[in-house]
Amino acid sequence: MSPDRLDATFSALADPTRRAILARLALGETSVAELAAPFSISPPAITKHLKVLEHAGLISRSRHAQWRPCKLEAAPLREVSDFVEHYRQFWEQSFDRLDAYLQTLQASPTLEMKDKKNGRKKR
Amino acid sequence: MDAKNVSASTAHEFVISRTFNAPRKLVWKAWTDREELMKWFGPKGCTLPHANMDFRPGGIFHYMMLTPDGKEMWGKWTFREIVAPEKLLLVNSFSDAQGGITRHPLSDSWPLETLSTTTFEERSGKTTITIHWSPLNASAQEISTFNGAHEGMQTGWSGTFEQLEAYLAQA
Repeated sequence: MSPDRLDATFSALADPTRRAILARLALGETSVAELAAPFSISPPAITKHLKVLEHAGLISRSRHAQWRPCKLEAAPLREVSDFVEHYRQFWEQSFDRLDAYLQTLQASPTLEMKDKKNGRKKR
Repeated sequence: MDAKNVSASTAHEFVISRTFNAPRKLVWKAWTDREELMKWFGPKGCTLPHANMDFRPGGIFHYMMLTPDGKEMWGKWTFREIVAPEKLLLVNSFSDAQGGITRHPLSDSWPLETLSTTTFEERSGKTTITIHWSPLNASAQEISTFNGAHEGMQTGWSGTFEQLEAYLAQA
């Protein structure tokens, strides 16, 4: 994965209108007119958003049909998903390890963790 | 490049929290003592073969994390404010072996520095840790990158993200 591309994806996702467009496209491919319908912004503004999404590789526009339907592209989203998951996992798993460590500390107040024979205290 | 401290771009905070069945004194020590930090900091299977700790305002925690697949990742905390045992403010950054600040390995526009505020609250013998995380001295582009990634971490976006995940599963 190239940093440039991931950065383009992040910029594209930072905007709520573009996220809403992606959410709509997750349901299937559709026309620009239909994408624009729920938003109170001009068609040129929608086109601008679509260009940003296309540049980030998040969507593609078919050249076959005259109405040029927009389609969601999976790969960059998977990269963002992995990136985000990495941060969440970093802290969730650190917290899991901290939790286990704190339990060990409290189970053996003398901190004789190396001597497992002494680890059988009540509670 | 973009000017620093651009007020037009507002950074969204990333917040994560967990409650531990342990008194605050114990949790604080586990978080601020070098030897103890080395026992738990980092995802499952990671180790900290290298860690330097100078625990005072202006001091640093400089570490090398080794992932289970053998990747080395250097990081640095610079302590900004220490209110034992309640609150810890630190500047977070990726680093090299010499302690210099580096870019995110996967993103050139990830903020060079981020600010973490960690609070420790005790209630009936349990301690709740909350981390607030935001970009520091970031350019408009860095803030936008942080927000873009961050939106993926938030519940408002996660509903949408689930749809996208379902889509990804079929794609």
